[in-house]
Amino acid sequence: MSVIRRIDEQKSQVTIAIDGRFDFAQHKAFRDAYRDIDPKSKTFVVDLSGASYLDSSALGMLLLLRDFAGGDAGRVAISGCGEDVRRVLKIANFEKLFNLD
Amino acid sequence: MSSSEQTRGWLTEPLSARAGGRGLALIVEDDPVGRQLLSSMLRHEGFATLEAGSGPEALSLFESERPDLVFMDVVMPLMDGFETTRRIKAMSGSDFVPVIFQTALRDEESLLRGIRSGGDDVLIIPFSQAVLRARILAMERMRDLHRRIVAENQPLAELLERERQEQALAERVFSRAIKNRNVATDQLGLMQRPAAMFSGDLVLTQHLPDGGLRVLVGDFTGHGLAAAIGALPVVDAFHAMTRKGVEDLDVLAEINRKLYQLLPTDRFMAACLMSIPGSGQELRWWNAGMPSAWLRSRDALHELASHALPLGILPELPDGETPHRIGLRPGDGLLIFSDGLLEARDRTGIPFGHSRFRHLLDAWRHAHAIFPELLAALDAHCLETVPSDDIAILEIPLNAQLFAAPRIASPSSTAGGWTWSLELQDAHLGGLRSVESMLRPLGFLDGLDAHLGALETIVAELYSNALEHGILQLPSSLKSAPDGFEVYYGRRADLLEAGCTGWLCLEISHEPLAEGAEGGRLKIRLRDSGEGFEQADWVGAEASPARPWGRGIALVRELCESLTYLEGGRQVEAVYRWSSDPPLPAIPIE
Repeated sequence: MSVIRRIDEQKSQVTIAIDGRFDFAQHKAFRDAYRDIDPKSKTFVVDLSGASYLDSSALGMLLLLRDFAGGDAGRVAISGCGEDVRRVLKIANFEKLFNLD
Repeated sequence: MSSSEQTRGWLTEPLSARAGGRGLALIVEDDPVGRQLLSSMLRHEGFATLEAGSGPEALSLFESERPDLVFMDVVMPLMDGFETTRRIKAMSGSDFVPVIFQTALRDEESLLRGIRSGGDDVLIIPFSQAVLRARILAMERMRDLHRRIVAENQPLAELLERERQEQALAERVFSRAIKNRNVATDQLGLMQRPAAMFSGDLVLTQHLPDGGLRVLVGDFTGHGLAAAIGALPVVDAFHAMTRKGVEDLDVLAEINRKLYQLLPTDRFMAACLMSIPGSGQELRWWNAGMPSAWLRSRDALHELASHALPLGILPELPDGETPHRIGLRPGDGLLIFSDGLLEARDRTGIPFGHSRFRHLLDAWRHAHAIFPELLAALDAHCLETVPSDDIAILEIPLNAQLFAAPRIASPSSTAGGWTWSLELQDAHLGGLRSVESMLRPLGFLDGLDAHLGALETIVAELYSNALEHGILQLPSSLKSAPDGFEVYYGRRADLLEAGCTGWLCLEISHEPLAEGAEGGRLKIRLRDSGEGFEQADWVGAEASPARPWGRGIALVRELCESLTYLEGGRQVEAVYRWSSDPPLPAIPIE
């Protein structure tokens, strides 16, 4: 279980990669991965290729990031979803709020 | 030394500051020589000492004096050292009072028994002063550690206790709000299993005004207080709006709005809203972030998959969304559940899963319940585990008992249109009841009280005409004779008594006036199976006030905006217009 942040200055893009279970235990690490960033200057990608599981509190955390990034204005992308993770996102209809690859 | 002192044990010397500096030690041994020897060794180490010659004596001394350290002999009459230790440990509760066995027995069996009965150490007799000192130091270190942990845990325990109390409060609020107001619960298969004390899942059921059933199964992110706070307005809005017959989408929009205002960004509620109108012929469904619900109809298994965002995320529901519709027939079954079902893990961490569930679904037969098999499979899977997420499962078998009698309770019913009809046949032909007794329970008269007298008159007159002239073929002219009325009503009673055949159909409908105007039109239609009658019998009654019959229809004509006879008198239609202006004076029924 880990949350890793990569900043690509050239693309002005912040990638937050989650490894293992994405649940409430990641709450602090996930928040710390973006709270010091100026949302106006960057776009956000959440990389879930290493995530094995997503629960509803993870959905809540994604909503917090979306809010932080400016709501509708600054779309947050979610990339690398496996089948299980994609199912959870689809059930919640999060493709209406996030850019799913 | 008195005998009473002996039963209580005795202090071997007065407590001096030095002697008692390290605390109070209790020596339990039936041999006075051994007792005194150990006592002097302990005093040398700075302890005050107490001596007990038996187990029962030790227990009573322990209770009254609360020593800091206990030395225990193994073999004693009355009660042995193991049992005495067990009881002392039980008495000391969460305090740590070391019990050290001293024994000449060298067998490993009693050594082990000593520790098992709650003893903390074993000293083999004889032992030197140095060995005793070392053991006491070790015990004191253990005791200090224990005390430190207890002290550090105290605030944590208090915090946990407060948390537990708040959870209990939330649970109380939540379950009172939810459970007390649900309907038809005896007809449904319902299982709710909270992960902890408190569940974030909620199941609501309420009847629609037409007797139909509306159900909401919701799953809040998180548990406890946030879910309880969110649940209250959801429950209120659901029940109140459903009873009023508010459309599905408006209910969802209201719940969404309330949750959006109340809950923080990362909290929301996934929900399934299902409505079955009183006819039982259609299902309207809306799935916002719940796992697919399933409809088992006679010919197919329908998946009702999530198509909308959970509630409370966006400030308003997106435009252009409508509930899905699907036809229903008796025997169909509906299954709704929260994600806790598929994610429920067994002892080895394997989830219940889609394939296991799919297997059960495929075996689900029309007009049979899936609930018992599903529950049994889940129980078998979750054997000896504690649920990690809430699970709610609801099965709705489509049968007549689900539905309530139609009801329109809102006083604003005059704002809407309705049609009500009744057909009387053969032996029932003579028994039309008052309009009030028929329509009042349905709520159709709410707001129309001022016009009830007129409505009763119209219906009674049209009914009499249809029955007496249309079906019974009584000529009005009978009434002209001096005893005409008596003869007329005597014939009427005889004919009904003898048993007549035919039918008579009464239809009353209401149509509100165009928007903005307060009022409406009541249309009263009556058809019968009779031969019709000569309209000359009553047409023009106004013109001949002396004629004793025909007043009824004249009255109706005055009350109504229009009165039309069709099909040679076999059908009549009266239109009564009302407004909220001062009503007409009440008219007595002749």
